Amino acid sequence: MTLLIAPLMIIFPELGYAIILVVLAFSLTFKGLGTIIYYFRMARHMVGGKSILYQGVILFDLGMVTLSLSDVPKFYVLVYLAVLHGFSGVVDILRANESKKLGGKHWRLKLTQGIINVLAAALCIFFINSYEAAVIIYTAGLVINAFIRIGNALRKRTTIYIQ
Amino acid sequence: MQEDFHYYATYCAAYLAGYTHEESMDICYSAQFVDLCTKTLLSKLGAPQDAATTQLQLELADARTDILGLQDITRIWASFHFLPYDLYAQLPRHGRGYMNRYRLICKPNGPLLERTVNVAHGTSLQHVGIAMHVLADTWAHTYFAGTPSLVINNTTDDFSEILTAEDGSSCTKRIKFRHNPGAADDLEQNLYTNTVYQSSEKSIMNLGHGRAGHLPDYSFIRYEYLPAWNNYESIVKDNPSDYMKAFAQMIYAMKFLRGGIDEFKPGTYADDIVAPYRERITGILTKRQINACEDWKKFGEELSGQTIEDFDLNKYQEEYIKADKNGKNDTFIGKFIEGALAQKNMVTAEIVKSGNVLAGIVKFKQLDILKEAGLD
Repeated sequence: MTLLIAPLMIIFPELGYAIILVVLAFSLTFKGLGTIIYYFRMARHMVGGKSILYQGVILFDLGMVTLSLSDVPKFYVLVYLAVLHGFSGVVDILRANESKKLGGKHWRLKLTQGIINVLAAALCIFFINSYEAAVIIYTAGLVINAFIRIGNALRKRTTIYIQ
Repeated sequence: MQEDFHYYATYCAAYLAGYTHEESMDICYSAQFVDLCTKTLLSKLGAPQDAATTQLQLELADARTDILGLQDITRIWASFHFLPYDLYAQLPRHGRGYMNRYRLICKPNGPLLERTVNVAHGTSLQHVGIAMHVLADTWAHTYFAGTPSLVINNTTDDFSEILTAEDGSSCTKRIKFRHNPGAADDLEQNLYTNTVYQSSEKSIMNLGHGRAGHLPDYSFIRYEYLPAWNNYESIVKDNPSDYMKAFAQMIYAMKFLRGGIDEFKPGTYADDIVAPYRERITGILTKRQINACEDWKKFGEELSGQTIEDFDLNKYQEEYIKADKNGKNDTFIGKFIEGALAQKNMVTAEIVKSGNVLAGIVKFKQLDILKEAGLD
């Protein structure tokens, strides 16, 4: 599905940008709702659980506010993407390093993933004022993740069956 | 627990239980290997990754936290490091989701401990080592669960160390935490590393005793803290006492596994065997140090009169890699893998039987080992 939507977003960048904003706004709203439900299901039994309730309410409100805005500065979307890609990239590189040290076999793929993510983060900062850049980087991220998930699903694994 | 107890103290316990030096080395190597047998290592050896008994920091950072990923994490940590105490615990007015996590809380002397020891009976020394690791960790990791869960494994930042003065009176000293996994804990400044607070229920930061840092793994420390699950009641953890019980129980369990005793009963300790060495062991356990390897090693070498080799992760790898397909099970690591799979299968099956889906869904096929032990 991602592979079908992503090219459309690149071809129509204004529409693509609007889609990104809607996705982000709905993410915040549903995250907020999910957190509130989590509070009532589990976190109310936890020491300091009320903070979870406050968090849920705040996220929900932020989501509703974002949905109601007619214009969100590109800056915020690109900073969000930069942080996401940057953090993922650093973790991937560290993980590849550890895997290589322990003699693991798949460290090159992980390293490549990490470098791509870090480059994406750098591009977000470089093109901080361009909404086309936001759309391209976001959709490129979606496409790469889609291919990685397909690749992982098709990877052979050894499973032991105990009888 | 860490290498000082899993490797050297387990050696001492095995020797005191009646095993020879060579047998004790096999047992203690396996006990320590549980903390190092990762999917990455198994992938390097060409061994089945389902036999992984731990996950290192960056493996965890990379781990999926969707339902399948969480089940994989729970299978590993609940089976080898946080053995659940009561899979059928009841709390009024608590939903199923909460209870599934609550029931995975680890404590010593639960029914699963008895099964762990029984499953290891009549098998390899490697499996004995695995069982000893699990047993020892039930004492150190008490009150935490082997599944990522904020509502169970979280704590407040209020940790206090309980110190005993020379006149016998006790006082408390506040423990300070920082979030720097690269920095060593500073015992003089009472400054320790723990995981960052994460409000997500299934975050890896909320796995096991991350929020308490390495405190459960230091034998010298007594401390008080407030866990997330105990209704605002604080818990006092007395590590020197718990570690002494772990040691005595290991000896008792290994006497059973050697065939010296007819049955293994939880809550029983080989106090008679420990008695002549109690003062010496108390001295090791209460000495304020991050790592007690040297002291345990010296004690072990005095007991057996033999040299205890330092732990070498690479020791048995070549043997496994070079063995042909049919010979792999007869290698050291091959036997370890069999033991690990048996332990993981048993614990996972018990968790699933209790109606808890956090460890996954299991097809119930009987292991020959379980049948022979009369545990079907």
